[in-house]
Amino acid sequence: MKEVKLFHGPNHPGMHGNFSVHLTVDGDTVKKAKPNPGMLHRGFEKLMERRLWLNNIALIPRVCVPEPDLNEAVYSMAVEKIQNLEIPERAKYIRVLMMELARISVHMMSIGGIGGPTGVYTAPNWALADRDLILDIFEKITGHRVYHMYIVPGGVRQDIDEKTFRFIENTIRDIEKRLKDYKEIIFESPIIHKRLKGTAPLTKEQALNWGVTGPGLRSTGEKYDVRKQFPYFVYDKLDFDIPVADKSDAFTRLYLKYLEVKQSIKIIKQVINKIPKGKVRLKLTGTALKWKIKKGEAYGKVESSRGEFGYYVVSDGGRSPYRVQVRGASYPQGLYGIEAGLPETRLEDVAIWLDTMGVCAPEIDR
Amino acid sequence: MNQNEIIKKIENEFNIDKKDIKKIDSKQFKAFIKNSQIIDFLTYLKNIGFWQLSLITAVDWVDDNKFEIVYNLVSWELEQNILVKTDISRKNPKITSVINIWPAAKYYEWDVNEYFGIDFIGNPNNGKELFLENWDGPPPMRKDFDPLKYSKNKFPEKDYKNFKMKKQSEVIE
Amino acid sequence: MNTKELIEKIKNIVRGHSLYMLHYCTGCGAIELPPTMTSRFDMERLGIAPMATPRQADILLITGYLSKKTLRRVIYTYEQMQSPKWVVGFGSCTINGGIYYDSYSTINRLDLYLPVDLYIAGCMPRPEAIINGFKKLISMIEKGDAKGWEHYIENKKWYKKNQKKALGNSLYTTR
Repeated sequence: MKEVKLFHGPNHPGMHGNFSVHLTVDGDTVKKAKPNPGMLHRGFEKLMERRLWLNNIALIPRVCVPEPDLNEAVYSMAVEKIQNLEIPERAKYIRVLMMELARISVHMMSIGGIGGPTGVYTAPNWALADRDLILDIFEKITGHRVYHMYIVPGGVRQDIDEKTFRFIENTIRDIEKRLKDYKEIIFESPIIHKRLKGTAPLTKEQALNWGVTGPGLRSTGEKYDVRKQFPYFVYDKLDFDIPVADKSDAFTRLYLKYLEVKQSIKIIKQVINKIPKGKVRLKLTGTALKWKIKKGEAYGKVESSRGEFGYYVVSDGGRSPYRVQVRGASYPQGLYGIEAGLPETRLEDVAIWLDTMGVCAPEIDR
Repeated sequence: MNQNEIIKKIENEFNIDKKDIKKIDSKQFKAFIKNSQIIDFLTYLKNIGFWQLSLITAVDWVDDNKFEIVYNLVSWELEQNILVKTDISRKNPKITSVINIWPAAKYYEWDVNEYFGIDFIGNPNNGKELFLENWDGPPPMRKDFDPLKYSKNKFPEKDYKNFKMKKQSEVIE
Repeated sequence: MNTKELIEKIKNIVRGHSLYMLHYCTGCGAIELPPTMTSRFDMERLGIAPMATPRQADILLITGYLSKKTLRRVIYTYEQMQSPKWVVGFGSCTINGGIYYDSYSTINRLDLYLPVDLYIAGCMPRPEAIINGFKKLISMIEKGDAKGWEHYIENKKWYKKNQKKALGNSLYTTR
């Protein structure tokens, strides 16, 4: 049979974000695949060199659009490592609270996002309505639903009072009651079983060769997580578990995200009980216009919902950064994984492969 | 093994000077290697446990007339993170590719080649375009390229000097 | 009024109440579209629903900034849609460049390249602001005020000159 070239292009109802793949197809099977990134390129690394150290907090949340809190936390971690700052205890607990709330909201969007490629439109209507309750919590703490600009080098910007903590507890209790229904409607439905079980498999050697981290590596059996191996903020004092699976295909990768939501709810309840009193922000020397950092470099990293996310910051003693490089968490599976892992799948399963492996376009292009 | 034992082992087995290895944190340290020894050092590190390549990046030091290339390796069992740095000249930038050790390094090196203009000997994608399309200027991440001037030249801005409010029936200019 | 004007008036009222929106997320403002389409701030009660192909859609929604590579594909998509069609600019990056004003890869003004009917302000706009903007667009269509597609056909040379200055001479070739 002749081979046909197709564009699985940016305008597709099953695609999350603006990303395209060039496929060569023979009948119904894919023979060759080539990624085509760059549609969301804004030149972030060049823009960050032209602004002051504290001005960059207003620009940085837009690098990874579904989970904007991670970018601010990693930038602050790298700057504090170069300058050797020690932040107060209450600020560390509040940072853990914001990161776990962001993790719950991104996993809800992933569970709801399975509706586009498969056609089960009950899932987005339920999951996105529950995610909106968490955006209400963000609005009470910081004032904006999506881009917060709340975590700065030196602590956080404002304190949280007692009334807001009661509101957070009530909302988390409501979400936990509804999680049982998700298992019946989504994870035991016969359409999801037939489409997702057995498609897009991933072996352990492939995952270790490409450099995949996060839920993709944990679903093949290796128990590696940045929060346990390289602990940051106060994760070494909290008690939580890491779910692992045996064999990796599209269904187990989606089910792991549901189990991680339950662990995040457990962490939030411990944080609200154990948080100490005190200040939340260090006083910087001088004003924001004249704040300078020592010479040096550092690499800060956290655990995002797709893997290891890091920033490499270089400073030469001036008022702006000299060089910043962003390491997106889906860089290995979005560029090399498509070229080596997508051949020999069927044409209708390409959208499910891209959705459950966790390819997020803005953090590859930056 | 804790961090001091790992640093001593690398210093003894590879004959590196004490002032070329420095600690950043309790789980991170950096090392400076000469250009000719880089492939042997990276193969040695992969064999003792640093099996994951996280990042390849470059820094442009315009005043000292050199580029600096940084490799970032992670070991999950030993729980350590190492940054390996090396220098090349700015006039004719060339370095050997690591694609035989880690096959996934193809796309990290293509990224650095497109934004800085550095040649990686052995990589089949030198000079082709990945993120930009039909680009007509110098490599954009070098320090002597001004993005504000380029943007004002090619994409005209909104003119606020002769601005007046429009009536409701005039919808488009 | 005679029959021709009466038929035109009825056509405008019917057009405004069943609009199909093209499902194409071009920029970072698209993160507030899924909450608008699903069950909390339901958009389908105004008659607006998402549609997969450009040949059957009426509204093209430009959510946020446009890089050079996406601009080539958006122009190709706009010329495939059938009239009557409308373009809505979303966020402050379409008005004057926004927070990326000094970037070498994003455009600064949208209405030099495509005819825009309505702007919605914010960075990014909330779902209540999106529904408010759509209600204004529906009332503009019923009165007969929104005629962007005819402006594009009459001034085609001016639009093509602006597009070639930003993209170079190759308007339709991709890799």
